[in-house]
Amino acid sequence: MFGLYIARSVPAQPAPFLCYLFRMTGVRLFRFLALFFAGLLLAGFLPAFADDPSSRPTIRVGILAPLSGPFASGGSSFLEAATLAVEQANEGGGILGRRVELVVADSQGRVETAKSEAMRLISREKVFAIVGAYLSEETIGAIEAATAARKILIVPVAATAEITDGVSRDYPRYRYVFRVGYSIPQWAAMMGEFLRQRGVKTYAFVGASIRWNRELAGALKKTLAGSGILPVYEAFYSPRNPAFEPVAVAAAAAAPDFLVLGDPGKNSVVFVKRIREGGSKVPILSVGGSLGDARVVASLPLSGPLYVQAAAWMGTSEAATRYVTAFEKRFGYSPVGYSDTLPHDAMTVLLSAIRAAGRLDTDSVISALEKGAFPGVAGTYRFDASHQATWGPGSPDLHGTVIQWEKDGARIVFPRR
Amino acid sequence: MKKSGPFRHGKFPGVLAAGAGVLLLLPLAGIDAFLLNVLTLGFLVAVYTGSWDIVGGVAGQISLGHALFFGAATYACALLTSLAGWPFPLAAVAALLLATAAGAAVGALSAPLKGPFVALLTLALGEGAHEFFLGQTFFSPKGAYSWGGEGGIPVLLGGPSISPWTAYYAALAFLVLCTWLMLRIARSEEGLIWTAVSGSELSARASGVDVLRYKRRAFMVAAALAGAAGVGFAAFVGRATADDFSLELSFQAATFAAVGGRGTIVGPVLSALLLHSLLQGTGIPPAGRVLLYALALLLTLRFFPGGVAGTLRDRVRSRRMVAPGKGENR
Amino acid sequence: MPGSSFPGADAPGDTAVNPLAQVLVDGIFTGASYALMAAGLALILGVVKVVNLSHGAFFTLGAYVAYVLDSRGVGNPLAAVFMAAVIAFAFGVFLGKSFINPVRSHSFSVAVGSLGFAILFEQAAQMLWGPHPLSIDLGAPLAVVDGVTLRRWGVISFLVSLGLVGGLSHLLSRPLGLPLKLIAEDEEIAGSVGMDVEKIRYLTFGAASAVAAVAGALLAPAMAITPTMGRVPLILSLIVVIASGMEKVWNLFFLAVGLGLLSNVSAYLLAPSWSYVLLLAVICLLLVLRPSGLATVGPSRDY
Repeated sequence: MFGLYIARSVPAQPAPFLCYLFRMTGVRLFRFLALFFAGLLLAGFLPAFADDPSSRPTIRVGILAPLSGPFASGGSSFLEAATLAVEQANEGGGILGRRVELVVADSQGRVETAKSEAMRLISREKVFAIVGAYLSEETIGAIEAATAARKILIVPVAATAEITDGVSRDYPRYRYVFRVGYSIPQWAAMMGEFLRQRGVKTYAFVGASIRWNRELAGALKKTLAGSGILPVYEAFYSPRNPAFEPVAVAAAAAAPDFLVLGDPGKNSVVFVKRIREGGSKVPILSVGGSLGDARVVASLPLSGPLYVQAAAWMGTSEAATRYVTAFEKRFGYSPVGYSDTLPHDAMTVLLSAIRAAGRLDTDSVISALEKGAFPGVAGTYRFDASHQATWGPGSPDLHGTVIQWEKDGARIVFPRR
Repeated sequence: MKKSGPFRHGKFPGVLAAGAGVLLLLPLAGIDAFLLNVLTLGFLVAVYTGSWDIVGGVAGQISLGHALFFGAATYACALLTSLAGWPFPLAAVAALLLATAAGAAVGALSAPLKGPFVALLTLALGEGAHEFFLGQTFFSPKGAYSWGGEGGIPVLLGGPSISPWTAYYAALAFLVLCTWLMLRIARSEEGLIWTAVSGSELSARASGVDVLRYKRRAFMVAAALAGAAGVGFAAFVGRATADDFSLELSFQAATFAAVGGRGTIVGPVLSALLLHSLLQGTGIPPAGRVLLYALALLLTLRFFPGGVAGTLRDRVRSRRMVAPGKGENR
Repeated sequence: MPGSSFPGADAPGDTAVNPLAQVLVDGIFTGASYALMAAGLALILGVVKVVNLSHGAFFTLGAYVAYVLDSRGVGNPLAAVFMAAVIAFAFGVFLGKSFINPVRSHSFSVAVGSLGFAILFEQAAQMLWGPHPLSIDLGAPLAVVDGVTLRRWGVISFLVSLGLVGGLSHLLSRPLGLPLKLIAEDEEIAGSVGMDVEKIRYLTFGAASAVAAVAGALLAPAMAITPTMGRVPLILSLIVVIASGMEKVWNLFFLAVGLGLLSNVSAYLLAPSWSYVLLLAVICLLLVLRPSGLATVGPSRDY
């Protein structure tokens, strides 16, 4: 009788194993399932009891980036660029005679997952240092885990001041954190310098209604106020369901000399489409990201000038050209100059610092990072007192670049040669 | 109404006790800090999912905005400790009260609504809260940067930091206590009324039940428990972000509960713990993890349409109906 | 002026002569795009009463089909629409037969399972086409009338959604639509009258998926294509379909246009960061004031 009941709720010709599975009665089936899942759990947990991987002669470096979900785009270019850096280091004979091994973790865009995965990299995978994360909330979670375990964390992209604030506020606890990417004030300074050079008098800022975009807008306003350049329009659209058209209409109607787009994601791509559709030819400066992707820009109307700010581009230096060529060869598309270049340099700087320190010892490497100068794709990296790389228009080396998209490719327009 | 199934007898609680025993002893077996972390989070996620089942399963009000209560609690803890300087225990109590109040409000708003409209209202409220807090920034006392939005707000515990072991056992005790509480509520007179209301509002009303009041209370209880999970989360993770209100988190509660068995309490709690531990604790590459999750959902629900525990319970019940005897009178 | 006003804000613009008219027209078009996205869900949720959380995934599928065809030089939008409809119909029927039908006794599990399929599709899309945003050339706007730009995707959304909603409404009021309505009302009676309920259900599911994919293919050039692009269309479609009351299909169109107008006008007159929150607030208000959505208040049902 029970068998008949089961037969009704199961497809006509199940596989023999499933037949057996479903002929089991209630409690037996439950026990089987409990054992099955317990077994799965155990199998997953077995690595916890495995051998200590740090006994093998490699240098293990962890990568923490969002590899699934809405930010997978930035996270995957992060991983690709870091992989390239590691491969290049290994081709050059490794570091301190050892091969470099990359261990990958997916931060999934959440603070507790980033913290958890950082702990996995440290306690289970026994990495020497971590490069990550991508979003500011992930990075903060990673900082807590890394500093508690006294492991170096190199931050490539997340720009909020909170990240390096810990270093100046509580040096003994947070001295392990170094940021290779530019901070928000530095970002604003570099973009501001470009706008000044263009002779801009008024500008508009359009970004997403998220914290760091608002901070960036504020920093840009502050930086440009000194030169008498004023914003005539500022708007932050909803990050989930943006209303692009009214913002495009209002921004165009305010007639700024330049329009700054603060969102590095796909929303900026759609915004460019909207504003050009409406007929406006206002010059646009993007903070980079998706608008640095040649394949995307190929589909955009270039009825008005489109500029993209980046950490480095093909042609800004020999190192940059070599990097772009290698990236294109390895991955089949051109890097966008932000979510790939900075992680590449973060990895390069870390490995160079290990080499400079001469030993695989955290304190020595921190010392090397604090004192040394490390060449990367975007320039030579030096860190200030709060472990922030010295980016800026006044910096001898790290000043970023701005390219202009044209029909046949990108042209470097900043800094002027 | 008698409690049904083998759950009443020694076998099932025995299995549960054995599981709890394993979890008690696991840290002593020498697992690493990472696993401790994953399991502690898993206990909190399990309470959160169980709290969804109170309103979504037992009371039948499918809520797609359960993260609202969770986020309200984490945000309250963060804001009160970081910006207002309150000691954490006080902030925790306030957060719990806030979450419960939010539950009462949502319950009151959704009580006159039926089925999909409850789902829509809760979805809209959750999404609205998420969007609102994503754009709300609060200046940190240190200046130079702001708290809030996607970056989040820190939660200050004050005093010495909690060791991972303490956190683990505290979360485990919390899970056991809350599960016991939820089971008691579900099987209490109140809980049975909720089940009746979820089955047929018309009949319940005809029997003289104040449907609106009971629907409200279900939401309140569920919100209180979700808030408690939120407080635990805030204390453990140390940060509240706008994503604590996110739709993804709301959907996660409903999804884990569906896999476990909507309405069974134990099903959602166990499935949440298992799924969280399996997906986050085994270091599977991201593509594999997502595929595993999706396939687990599809396959489990395909062969256990009422969730694992739900389908088993239904099968046992129907078996007893089909073959009466051994003292069962129906 | 939205946002903050600064010196120089009164200078004349270089585009629309009448920004407010432009915003209103854009609002109607945005609303029409909501209706377009929601049409497929209306068929499934409103008629056959299955909550399909994979609706966004089929929308994304349509967008990727359009991209793949565009990248191979097939520029004709009709080809993209046709291919998207066919592929989505096939997948929809498969999903309907293998999952929706066998599990239909537990409507909640159907919903969660369809969400599982959506997650699966997102990951598959990321593996097939990469996580980076892709873009199709939008093409020039269709016309500029009195200084108001008529955006190409806006006009298409408007016309196609009108057609779809009209067609659906017509279908349901004709004898052809009776089986669908009967299945929604009472499956047992439908079955006893001789209808192959299972077949009609999975065919309808396939059709609804096809409509979602058509929406994706038509709107793809106006958006950036990513694996998770269907999440927001899913939420918007759920909002529009449920809040419209799931009784009359035309309510859906008017509600969608109303929401689009609200979203755009509030972004223009108040602040752009509030557009979505206001939309959600209005929906909550609507539900509180009219517990059955926009549906005509009839005898209350007890499902």
